[in-house]
Order: sequence, then structure tokens, then C-alpha cells
Amino acid sequence: MQTMIFLAILQALVLLAVAPLFSGLSRVLRAKMHSRRGPGVLQDYRDLVKLLKRQDVATADSGPIFRVMPYVLFGSMLAIATVLPLVTTRSPLGAAGDLITVVYLFALSRFFFSLSGLDTGSTFGAIGASRELTLGVLVEPIMMLALFVAALIEGTTNLGGIGLGIATGHYVSPTAIALAGAAFGFAAFIEMGKMPFDLAEAEQELQEGPLTEYSGSALALLKWGLALKKLVVAQMFLGVFIPFGQASEMTAAALAFAAAVAAVKLLVVFLLSALVENSVARGRFMLTPKVTWIGFGVASLAFVFYLTGL
Amino acid sequence: MNTLPLVLVSVLLYVAGAFASLLLASNERLGIRCAGLAGSAAALAGLAASAPALLSGQTLDFASSGPFPFARFVVHFDLLAALMVFVISLLALAASVYSLSYVREYEGRGAWAMGFFMNLFIASMLALVVVDNAFYFLIFFEMMSLASYFLVISEQSNEAVKAGFLYFLIAHAGSVLIMLAFFLLYQHSGSLDFASFRHLHLSTPLASAVFLLAFFGFGAKAGMVPLHGWLPRAHPAAPSHASAMMSGVMVKIGIFGIIRVGVDILGATTTWWGLLVLAIGGISAVLGVLYALAEHDIKRLLAYHSVENIGIILMGVGAGMVGMATHQPLLAVLGLLAGLYHLLNHAVFKGLLFLGAGSVVFRLHTKDMEKMGGLGRRMPLTALTFLIGAMAISALPPLNGFVSEWFTYQSLFTMSLQGSFLIRLAGPIVVVMLAITGALAVMCFVKVYGVSFSGAPRSPHAAEAREVPAPMIAGMALLALACIALGLGAALVAPVIAHIASQLAATGAIDVASQTLVYPGSATRTALSTPLVAILLAGGLLVTVVLGGLYREQRQKRRHGGDAWACGYAHDPRMVVSAGNFAKPLREMFAPLYRLRQQADPSPAMRHSLSWLTGAASWMEPRFDDNIVAPMLRGIHWLGRQVQRLQHGDFRIYCLYIVAALVILIVLTAA
Repeated sequence: MQTMIFLAILQALVLLAVAPLFSGLSRVLRAKMHSRRGPGVLQDYRDLVKLLKRQDVATADSGPIFRVMPYVLFGSMLAIATVLPLVTTRSPLGAAGDLITVVYLFALSRFFFSLSGLDTGSTFGAIGASRELTLGVLVEPIMMLALFVAALIEGTTNLGGIGLGIATGHYVSPTAIALAGAAFGFAAFIEMGKMPFDLAEAEQELQEGPLTEYSGSALALLKWGLALKKLVVAQMFLGVFIPFGQASEMTAAALAFAAAVAAVKLLVVFLLSALVENSVARGRFMLTPKVTWIGFGVASLAFVFYLTGL
Repeated sequence: MNTLPLVLVSVLLYVAGAFASLLLASNERLGIRCAGLAGSAAALAGLAASAPALLSGQTLDFASSGPFPFARFVVHFDLLAALMVFVISLLALAASVYSLSYVREYEGRGAWAMGFFMNLFIASMLALVVVDNAFYFLIFFEMMSLASYFLVISEQSNEAVKAGFLYFLIAHAGSVLIMLAFFLLYQHSGSLDFASFRHLHLSTPLASAVFLLAFFGFGAKAGMVPLHGWLPRAHPAAPSHASAMMSGVMVKIGIFGIIRVGVDILGATTTWWGLLVLAIGGISAVLGVLYALAEHDIKRLLAYHSVENIGIILMGVGAGMVGMATHQPLLAVLGLLAGLYHLLNHAVFKGLLFLGAGSVVFRLHTKDMEKMGGLGRRMPLTALTFLIGAMAISALPPLNGFVSEWFTYQSLFTMSLQGSFLIRLAGPIVVVMLAITGALAVMCFVKVYGVSFSGAPRSPHAAEAREVPAPMIAGMALLALACIALGLGAALVAPVIAHIASQLAATGAIDVASQTLVYPGSATRTALSTPLVAILLAGGLLVTVVLGGLYREQRQKRRHGGDAWACGYAHDPRMVVSAGNFAKPLREMFAPLYRLRQQADPSPAMRHSLSWLTGAASWMEPRFDDNIVAPMLRGIHWLGRQVQRLQHGDFRIYCLYIVAALVILIVLTAA
């Protein structure tokens, strides 16, 4: 039990520490695909340090929500990071590692993230908030259905439990698992804030709209928190649907191997998502439901496959 | 311990408060105080009556013949009734304390009547949930409907009267269905006692007919889709503490009725009943929240959320009924547990939100969110309690709304695991509906809080708003604390409610909690520990605070001021997003469902048929006068004129009459 708590805290802190590395990697990959030279992999660390030294500025209309939001976002991402199966197949803290709990913890961060956009009285912040929440409405059902189908197959709603079932080859319906994984991967891609759903370089326009008014250390925390969110979402996909290589018993060798595998898997996910992100065109926001229907359709298909037992 | 006398004390105190308010019509300030204090005392008595019963799991009964030969006065204080008494009393306590200041607003505008009807309304609900006889049940049901009707029309505005009329109509259409259901049961048992109903063995078609009548009858009271048309009109029209009681408790009486008849009396023997409840629940949840999103009247928006939450409660109840019909004790208990837990939670956070909305209306005198804005800094305590309510209703962990939705998900999961094809198909569909509902609720409450409490004031009134008086804060704070306690204390609350559920479903005890964990039957499947979630969040916050403190000495002090960035142009208040714009993307994406509201709402049709009825009546009325009443009047006039001829005023003729009468009498006696 104690080792599990230790592991939970450790994995959250490690994810936190490497989050800017992975977001830096995304920037490098994007620059390469644009045929630019781009910044180095460590650029995001340098940005964070610089921002932490800068003054916080808040608009006259902003209130306490604007102030606390970076902390809540960061805090909820760290909370999720502790419960995800990362190097172990089981969730280190099973009592908070239920899929419903985790999905609603994401909702908690989304609630405050969007609310801060309205709290500043900024036009762009509010539009960004509206869009963020609209995306949430479109994505959450996909996530839930995909996870639910996997949960039904493995007979548990615990993320670690589902991962364990898949890792040990307990498939009633392999097609359903594969399709559910695909649908969840699609939803995770959107949640990671990627094109065509978001363009982080033009922040005020889309999903990251609430960032508009942030500056200084608050912005540093937010950027860090969002980088962590990308990592957490990616790991949630990996830990549940591609749990191979994760340690099922707590030996040092197995854990070290699992940590290496986890790093490789995350790298591959970031590489693939960068590839997709930089090779698709950006669509109008109002057309996103037409795209997200695909994800929902795949998740429904997974459900039908499960139901018919194929 | 027999706590039944306390229930009686509670009811009597409400009635005393009601009449005190009525008698003190000339001294309203004292009347308000009497009504509020009597209500609070009565609520405390109600809490003292129900809490021991809930904790000990004891069922108390009382019976007397009562004044009517056909109906015995039977009180059956089982766990379900105890839970309802607890919910009613908790809300009544908050609303009564709140009313001490809030009703002052209505001085000179019928505050005394408000105190009278409010206390009578609560008393009738309390009596309603404990009686176990159809006759008394209906009497109290009608009392509740009537008292709340008067609360709805208390503003006396055109809109309120119209809303009240619609409410009156649908409530009574509902009670007719309920009467029919009870009548069918009475025909077979020969007694109006619920106890006799419970022992009936009805044929499946007949039982289904009774269930459908009761389901739609009580469903009209609960405000489920498609019988919800009255709810978003009537609840906002009432004064806010009454809205809190109506939305928090009265709609639950509908749920209570569905459980009482469908589960307790009929035993939920048929699978499709549960599936029907599930389907209606899913549709109510999604449509309720979707319509709420399009509103910018804060109280009407909250009323639509009641439709949503009734849907979520029905999901749990439906899953429980499926469990009973298919003989799965775990599913039966989990479903009912989820439904009843959400019933309790919704009462608490919806009551809180309505009281919060009332506080805003109290200061701003408008329900339009477009005229609020920036209240978070001017009314910080109201804003804080409202935020807690908004987070709870959006089912954000670790608050109470999340726990009951978690149980709802778990019951649906259990249902989807086994059973017929239809059941396994239905479960995940409802899960998706619940997920959409959850995401939409988050959006809706970001909008409510963001537009009303954040940003810049949107009207001069909002810029001058002040914090509300202490009693109102106390009422809201009580419910806000309850939101937190029912969330963090889930492991203590869940076993109590699971006990109620297993009593209703007549199953053995199902283990749902140990230490800080709650779980569906066994902890090996999955578990939830809200304190752990809270600790993780707090730990995360702590780490963030530490990280945010890095390089603190190198940066300048935080600056608070200046306009928001507007792409280089001067910031203008009119640029700020309005409540309508905020939800615009969804209104376009879900346009067909919004059109459905116009097409599928039965209330225009009902109003149309009613206007036909009144038209016909006003056509009939003169016919009735001309053909029956007028001839009769003419006849009486004619008769009168004939009689007048006898009166000449001449006393000799009167003497003649006397003599003539004497002669006739003598002849008659002689003969």
C-alpha cells in the first residue's frame, strides 16, 4: 500500500517534470514539418522560468476565479496523474482510479478553465470558454462510451482493471476493444488540444481562449498545467488500451523496464499526433460536430461489436 | 425509539406558523418572523424525527379509524418516508431561515399569505409522505398542489397567473390519473389502505395499467418530459424560497409516488416498466439540460435543470426496477440507491441554487442574467455558496452530485453486464445520455456563474448590489455545507440509503461502503473514495502553490486593473459575450432538438383545447341562461304578481281570508 502511494506521488511528479519536454518536442516536430529550424527541445523550460519571473497582470473586472484557476487546473491534472496506470498495470490509487472519477476530474478542470475566460470580462476569453465547453460536450460522450465498452468487456470500471484485462489478453471481443481504443484515441487527440480542433499558436481564437488575459507566473503555471494535461490524456489512452509492458508485479527490474517502455510509448504517441496535427487542414469551428461524429460512430460500432459478441 | 409524535409536532408547528402568519396580516413584520421561526422549529422537529429512524432502520406504524368510515387514518413511517421527511425538513429549515429576511421584500404585497401558504405547503408534503392510505394521500396531495398554486400566483403578474393556471391544469390532470390508479387498486383490494394494496396479486396487464397511470400521474408532478411544460413557467414565478421548496422537494414527491406505487406497492414485477422509466429519464435529462442552456432567465434556467435532474433520478430508479424485475438484488439496490441519493442531493443543491438566485433577485429585482454580472465581488458569500451549488449540480468531484451520478453510472454498468439483449442495449445508451447531460450541465453552469457573478456589471443595479442579510446567507450556507458533507461523507451516507433501497426492493443487505470507500457491491470491481479525491486535489493545489512561488522575489507585485485585451481596440462593455451568445454553438449544433420543444410540448395543445373548452362554455353559458334560468325567473315573477293580487292592504279582506281559512280547516277536521 505504502509503495503504491509512493509510486503514485512519484509518477505524478515525474510526469510533471517531463511535461515541458514533451510539449517542447511537439514544437520541434512541428517546426521540422514546416521546414523551419524552430526552438530547441528545452525551449518550454526556458519559457517557464522566464514567465515565472514576470509580473502577474489581471484585468480590473477579474475576480477570484481568474486567480485560482491555474491552481485548480494544475491540481486536478496532478490528481489524475497520480491515479493513472503508468508503469504498473493497476492504478496506483485504485480508490480514485475509476474511469468515471477521472472523466469528471477532467470536467472539473474544464469547468474552472472556461469560467476563468468569462471572469476576466474579455471577449476572446469568453468565446474561447464557450468553444472549450462545446468541444467538451462533443468529446465527453465519445470518451465515456469507448471506455464503457472496454469496461463492460473487462467487467470493471476501474482504469487499472480494464488495462489489466487487456494486458493479460482477456478479450471477449477483440474487434470491440480495438474499435473502442480507436474511438478513445480520437477523443484523446482532441482533448490534447490539437489541430484541427485547436491551434495553440493563435491562442485567442480557439480552445485556449481563456489564456488570453494570463501573464507572468499564472501563465507559466497554466502552460505547464496544459502541457501536463496533454501528457495525462495520452497516458490515459496508453495505460488503458495499450497497457503492454507495464509491470504487473512490483520488482525493481520490471518497474525500470516499464518506465522505459512508458517513455517510448509516449514518444510514439506524441510523434504520431504531431504527424496528424501538422498534416490536416483547419476547419471552421461550427463544423466540428461533423468530425466528432466519426469518433462517436466508431465508439458506437465498438458497442455493437461487443453486443453481438464478434 | 418512537419518533412519530415528533412528525406530528412538526406538522402542527407548520400549521401553527401558517395560521400565525394569517392572523398577523396587519403586522406583517411579526407575521414573517412567526412563520419563519415556526417553520424552522418544525423543520428541526422533522429532522429529529427522521434521522433516528434512518440510522436505526426502524419502521414505525400508527393506525386509527379516523372520522371517515371508508378510510382508516394509517401512518406508515418506513425508511422511504423517513428519507422524504428528512429531505423536506432539511430544505424547509434552510428556506424558513432564509425567508426571515427574504419575505420582507414582499411586505405590503401579500407577505402574510406567502407565510400561510408556504407553511401549509410544507405541512401537507410532510403529511403526504407518511400516510399510508389512498384517501388521505390524495387529500394531502391536493393540499400540496393548491398551496403551491397560490405561491406560484403570488406575484399576481399576468405571466404568473398564466403560469399558475397551466400548473393547476397539469397538476390536476396528474391527480386524476393517480386517482384512477388508486381506484383500480381499491376495486381489487376493497380497502383504501396501501397495506392492502401491497398484498394484492394483480394480473400483469392490470398491474401495468395501474403502473402507467401512476407513472404518468406522478410524472406530471415530477416534471418529467413530456409533461414538464408547466415546470419552467411555474417554478420561476413563485418567490425564491418557495421555488427552492418546489424544485427541491415537491417534484420529488412525484418521484416518491412513482417509487411508492411502482416499487413498493406493485413490486416492479415487469421488466419493461423499468426500461420505460429509464427511457423517460434519459430523454428528460438530455432535453432538460439542453433547454436550460438556451435560457437567460436565471430561475427558469434552474427550473429546466430540475427536469434534467429528475431525469437522472429516474435513470437510477429505472435501473433499480429492472433489477427487481429480473431478480438481480445487486442491481435493484444499486439503482434505487443511486436514484434516492440523487434525490437527496438534488434537493440540497437545487434548493441552494434557487436561494442563491433569490438573493440576486432580492438585490437586483431582475431575473435576467444579462442584467447581472460582476456580482462575485459585490456579493462574495452568495457567490461562493452559489459556486458550490453549481459545482455540485455539474457533478464535479468530490461534491455530492458526483457521488450520486457515480452510483447511477455504476447501476447502469451493472445492468449492462447481463440480461436480455434489450437491457444490455439500453444500459450504454443511457450512459451516453448521462455523459452528454454531464458535459452540458458543466457548460450551463459555467454560463450561469460566468455571466451573473463574473466579469463586469452589466447594469447599474448590478454595479450597486450589496451582500444580502445574514439569515439569507445562513440558509444558503447550511445547504452549501450539506453539499460538501454529502460528498465527502459518501461512505457514511451510502449505507443508510442502501438500507432504504434494500427494504424497498425486499432484498438482503448489500455492502456498499467501508471506511472511506464506496463501491458497487464489492470493492474488487471498482471503488470510489471522495476523501481521497479531495486529498489528491488538495495535494495538487499545494504543489502548484509551491511551484507558483518559484522566483517570487524576482518578479514585481501583481497588478490588478485595466481593461481586457481587445485585439488592440479599446475595450467596450458591449463586446462582452452575453448569455445567449455563449450557448450559441450548441443551439446551432442541436437545432433539431430545440425545434422539438415547440413541436412536442403538450402545453400549447392543452392550452388550445382549454381555450376551446372555455369558448364552448362561454357559448353554452348564455344558452343555459336563456333557455332555463330566464324562463324560470319569468315564471317566478308571474307567480309573484299573481300573489300580489291577494294583498289589497284592506284589513277587511284579510279578515275574510282568516274566516275562510278557519272554515276550510273546520271542514277538513270534521271530514
